[in-house]
Parts: sequence; C-alpha cells; structure tokens
Amino acid sequence: MAGLTTALSIATQSLMVQQEALQVATNNIANANTPGYSRQVLDMEENPPVQQGSLWFGTGVNAGQVESIRDQMLQLSIYDGTQQQGNAQAQSTALQQVEAQFSDPTQGIGSDLTAFFNSINQLSTDPTSIPLRQGILTAANNLANDFHSTVAQLDTIQSNLNLNVTQSVSQINQLTTQIAALNGQIAPLQQLGQDAGTLEDQRDELIQQLSQLTNVQVIQSDQGETLATGNGTALVVGTQSFALTTAADAGGMQHVFAQGTDITSTLTGGQLGGVLAVRDQSIPSMLSDLDGLASGLATNFNTAHLKGYDLNGNQGQDFFAPVSGTGAAANFQVSITDPNLIAASSDGSSGSDGNLANLLAVANQKLPSGATPIDDYSNLVFNVGNWSSQAQSQASATQTSLQQLNNQRASVSGVSIDEETTNLIRYQNAYQAAARVISTIDTLTTDLFNITTTG
Amino acid sequence: MRVTDTTMTDTVLSAIWQAQDSEQTALEQLSTGKRVNRPSDDPAAAAEDVLNLSQQAQVDQYTQSTSSLNGLFQTADSALGSAITALNQAVSLGTEAASGTLSASDRQTLAASIQSSLDQVVQLANTSYQGSYIFGGTAVTSAPFSTGASGVTYNGNDGVNQATIADGLSIQTNVPGSQLFMQPGSDVMGSLEQLITAVQSGDSTATSNATTAVSNALSYLSAQQTFYGNAMNEVNNEQTTLNQETTNLQSQENTLVGVDMAQAATEVTQAQTDDQAVLEAAAKVLPMTLLNYLAPGS
Repeated sequence: MAGLTTALSIATQSLMVQQEALQVATNNIANANTPGYSRQVLDMEENPPVQQGSLWFGTGVNAGQVESIRDQMLQLSIYDGTQQQGNAQAQSTALQQVEAQFSDPTQGIGSDLTAFFNSINQLSTDPTSIPLRQGILTAANNLANDFHSTVAQLDTIQSNLNLNVTQSVSQINQLTTQIAALNGQIAPLQQLGQDAGTLEDQRDELIQQLSQLTNVQVIQSDQGETLATGNGTALVVGTQSFALTTAADAGGMQHVFAQGTDITSTLTGGQLGGVLAVRDQSIPSMLSDLDGLASGLATNFNTAHLKGYDLNGNQGQDFFAPVSGTGAAANFQVSITDPNLIAASSDGSSGSDGNLANLLAVANQKLPSGATPIDDYSNLVFNVGNWSSQAQSQASATQTSLQQLNNQRASVSGVSIDEETTNLIRYQNAYQAAARVISTIDTLTTDLFNITTTG
Repeated sequence: MRVTDTTMTDTVLSAIWQAQDSEQTALEQLSTGKRVNRPSDDPAAAAEDVLNLSQQAQVDQYTQSTSSLNGLFQTADSALGSAITALNQAVSLGTEAASGTLSASDRQTLAASIQSSLDQVVQLANTSYQGSYIFGGTAVTSAPFSTGASGVTYNGNDGVNQATIADGLSIQTNVPGSQLFMQPGSDVMGSLEQLITAVQSGDSTATSNATTAVSNALSYLSAQQTFYGNAMNEVNNEQTTLNQETTNLQSQENTLVGVDMAQAATEVTQAQTDDQAVLEAAAKVLPMTLLNYLAPGS
C-alpha cells in the first residue's frame, strides 16, 4: 500500500508540474510578439530520494522557479546600438529635409547667381536699354528672394528640431520615472534570490526606449540599476529619478539642464544627440556659409558698382544693402529700384558700358572664404550632400548592426513557436502518462480492495 | 543558432524593405534620367553639376549676346555701306563738275546733288539700333551729327565699348563717329562740304582737289567698314565655338549626374525580380511552423 500511495502522490505532483510547464509554454506563446519579452522556462527539479531498506527511490518532480532567459551583456550592446542608430537616424532624417533645399541645381541661389551675372553681360550689348537694366534688377531680386527663402526653410527645420528637443526631454523624464519605479519593485525580489523576469523585461525595454533618445550608461548596483547620461549625469539612482529640464537661450534654442547644469553639448548620443548635432552644428554652419556668400557678394559688387556712373551721369551708389556677419543672407537686399541707377558707365556718358566689365569681374572675384561666389555655393552643396550621405550610410550601417544584435537577442531570449509547440506536446505526453499512472494505481487499488473483501 | 519567429519576421521584413528601396531608387533614376537626384546621391558630382550648369547658362548668355551684337554690327555695316555708295556718287558728281565748262545753273544742280549726298551721309551717321545711336561713341541718347550754319558738327564722344563674348574674350562693339566721319586727313563730312563750296564757286582746280579729298575719305571709310565685317565674322565664329562648348558641357553633365537609360531599365527589372523573389520566399517561410504538420485535434 505504501508503494501505491507514494506512486499516487508522485503522479499527482507530476500532473501539477506538467500543468505549470504548460502554463509557462502558453505564456511564452502568448508573448511571442511582445517587445522586450524574454522567454521563460520552468526549472523542474527532482524531489529528494528516500531510502527503503538498501534501495533509494526517487520521489518525483517539483517545480523550481520560472526563469527568464536573458544575456545581460548582449542587452548592453543593444542599448549602445540603439543609441547609435537613433542618433544616425535623426541626423539622416533632418539632413534629408535640409538637402531638399539644394536638390534642384536649375533653381535656387546657384542658378540665380549665374542669371544675375548673365543679365549684366546682356546689358553690354545695349548699355542704355531700360528693359535690359530692369532685367538686372529682376535677377538681383530673384537672388535676394532665394537667399531669404533658403534661410527661412533652414530656420523652419531648425525650429522643428528645437521642438523635438523639448519633446525628447519630456519622454526621457517619463521613462526615467518609470524605470525608477520598476527598480523599486525588482530590487526586493532580487534580494530574496527570485527571478524578477517580467519586471526586468519591462525595465530593459524602457532602457532601450531611453537609449533610442540618448546614450545611457547602465551601472549595476545594490539598489538596482543606476542610469546616467553619456557624460555621467545621473538619471536614475535606485528608486529615484532625476528629471532633465529645458530652457531657451536668447536665440530661442532650447538647452538641456540636469540639476541646474547645462549639459546640452555633452548630449551626443541617441535621437536627442542627433537632433542637437543638426540643430547646433550642421544648420548653423550652412547659415554661416550663406551669410559669408551674401555679405561677400554684396561688398564686392558694391565696390565695383561705386566705380561706375549711372544713366544720369552720377557716380554709382550701393547696389545691394551692405550686410555682414550673422543674418547677412536673411537681410540680403537690392537697394536700388530705379534701373537708371545701375552704374554701367565708366566715364559718365550714358552709353558707356565700361564699368560692366568691373561688375562682371565680381563673378570671378574671391570672397573672404577664398572661393568665387559660384564655387562657394557649389562647396555648400557638396557639404550638405556629404553630411546627408554620411548620416544615411551611418543610419543604414547602425541599423544593420542593431538588427544583428536583435537577432542574437532573439536567438537567446526570443520565443520559438516550434519549440513551444514541441514543449506543449512533451508536457501533454507527460501529463497523459501521469494521468495513466493514476488510473493504473486506481485499478491496482480496486483489485487490492476486491481481494481483501472477497478473500 | 537558435532561430526564432521574431528573427524570421524581422529578417524577412528588412529584406523586403531593402528590395523595395533598391526598386524605388532604380525607378527614380529611370524616370528622372538622372543618377544624382539630390546632393547626397553623390556630393562631389552634385557640386560639380552646380558649376557645370552655371557654365552652360553662361555659354547660353554669351550666345545670346553674340546674336544681339551681330544685329548691331549688321546695322552699322549696312549704314557704312550706304554712306560709301553716297560718297561714290559724290565723287562722280565732283569729277563731272571738275571736267569742263558748266553753266552756273548746272553747277548749282550738281552742288545740290552733292548736298543731298552729304545729307544722306549725315542721316546714315545718325543711325540708331534699338533706340541707341551707334556712331556717337558712348553718347548714344542724342543724334551725334547735326547740321548748322557752320556745317556738320559732331556731338558724340570718342568712347568705345567692349562686350564679353566668352570667358576672357572681349570684343569692341563700336567705332566712334568722329573716327569714322571726321578723321583729320580723311574727313568725310569736311571733304563733302569742301566739294560743295568748290562746285558752287566754279573753281575747277579746287573742285578737282576736293573730289580727290572725298575719294580719299571714301577709301578711308571703306577701310573702317572692315571693322564691322571682322566683328561679324568674330561673333559668328564665336557662336560656333559656343555651340560646341554647350555640347561638351551637356555631355559632361550627363557623365556627372545622368544615368545610362538602358542600364537603368535593366536595374529596374533586376530590382523587381529581387523584390519578387524576397516576397515569394517570405510567403513560403513565414506561415511555416510545426503546427502546419500536426493533425488538428491530435
């Protein structure tokens, strides 16, 4: 009887354990597509054996713990890959918007420059012609308008990026608050030696989302995970999170502060880093190139224009409004509206075109940048294209490497439907077998009872 | 390696995206005929293209300028041609007047004919092109020659203009009227006035001398006329050069940013085939799990 009772208890426990295993498999299948989910396995353990006489008998199975399968080092690589990808992707997106302003070489500042000097060349065929003189003013105004619209479009992209900074910071703060809260739930479980599985999955997923926004250092400590920005500014310590704040500078650009310190320039990773790089480096550099082109052109052209005489025989005045420094391109303007005032003459006689050669020479005259106006613009197009192309390559390369890391992670932690289906069958078989054991013992017991009552 | 369903779907998705991206690029190149559709497609070529298009526009402008100048030169050339005809006539009239015994009334008739030649020459010297007097030097807004009590006066100046018709190539666009019609020693206007006075006076020696002077002025003006003939040749030659340059620049542009259409079409087909292959593979792989092979309810 003792043997049968033990067997019955072993079988009953087996039924329970197989059911638990089925439940784990079901949970895995249910979460097959949950981002950040790490597959779980039920650790089955043998019960301690008992000695009967000289023999040792096993006493069945019991469920140890449900363990999540994860690789912490891989997870750290994924955070790093994610921040690199976020950075490159943000730069690539912004710079593709920027380069759209420079995509059609038959329009914009470059072709306006050529059209402007061409209109001057045309005047040399008939120096007193009012329509041809008007043509010069029209071409000059087209150039000014395209300077303005290019600057305005760059400004718009810059202020959209600026808005993005504030949004990213608010997302970062939301994530760090959630991570700190999870730290508070995970630490006690870990101190008890338990697997915090699902909670850790959630925290890993949140840190990954945080990495998308900025580069994050993850440090394991007694209080759970400590998170800091790339330069070491604390974001989360144990259950406490530190919110970042933003404040606009005089130019309206949002700066990021951590506990009162401006950390904007140290934020180089993630989407925020990428947005800041385009907002604070690429676009200002382009604007400064445009300013240099506008002010250099205005200065050189005015100098040449002052050497000549207009149709009324008066000495030439400033053709463009003198502009310099920041904002030169935005303020670039034609100062004269009367075509008679174009100083084509070199001697005061109305029909002279002697000064047109001086005006035309400005096209080949070097600006402070060391290049002629059209070369200067061509260099700008090269820079814009080069930045965008680099960011796109970087985005695609980091995407590939992140994909590989994710594949590795999926290989370790991901759910395989085939595997879980196999497990289902395995546990189902074991369950059926255990049930058969119970029914067999039931038959044996009945037999035994029959013997004892009839005999 | 343990391959899971996420790996499978992610890989399939990124393969599909990649194939469609290539397809889109190939289609864009085929539809625009350009390999470089934005600076990042090839930054160096895009920057070169800016310069190339600028040069093309400049060459177009030079071509346009040479056409305008050609019109100007033709007008000037034909005016000088007519003036020379008028001078020839004056020389015949002068020769006739110097030859023999003419009545006072015949001389007056001849003098009047020579006067009308002079008026014609003055009118021709005041020729304008597109509203500008072309023989007044750079004083182009008022008629350079006027006739008064003291005879014909030049009101223009000695200015000459230059026009750029190619990089580093300028051409003189006018000869001042003073040089053409009132050059000391070969003075067209002066010699005609001198001839009229001589014919009227009946002094046959003076008439003969004045006729020689007109004849000299005629040769001189013919020589000056070649300036415009040469200028027309120069702009015509330059137009041929500029056309050639445009062809060269267009071919350079095509090398820089253009696309070989046949190759682009092949690439589109290739990309479509790739895309289709990826999709077919995905359709076979994605629905496959062990469940497909387990009999339902077993």
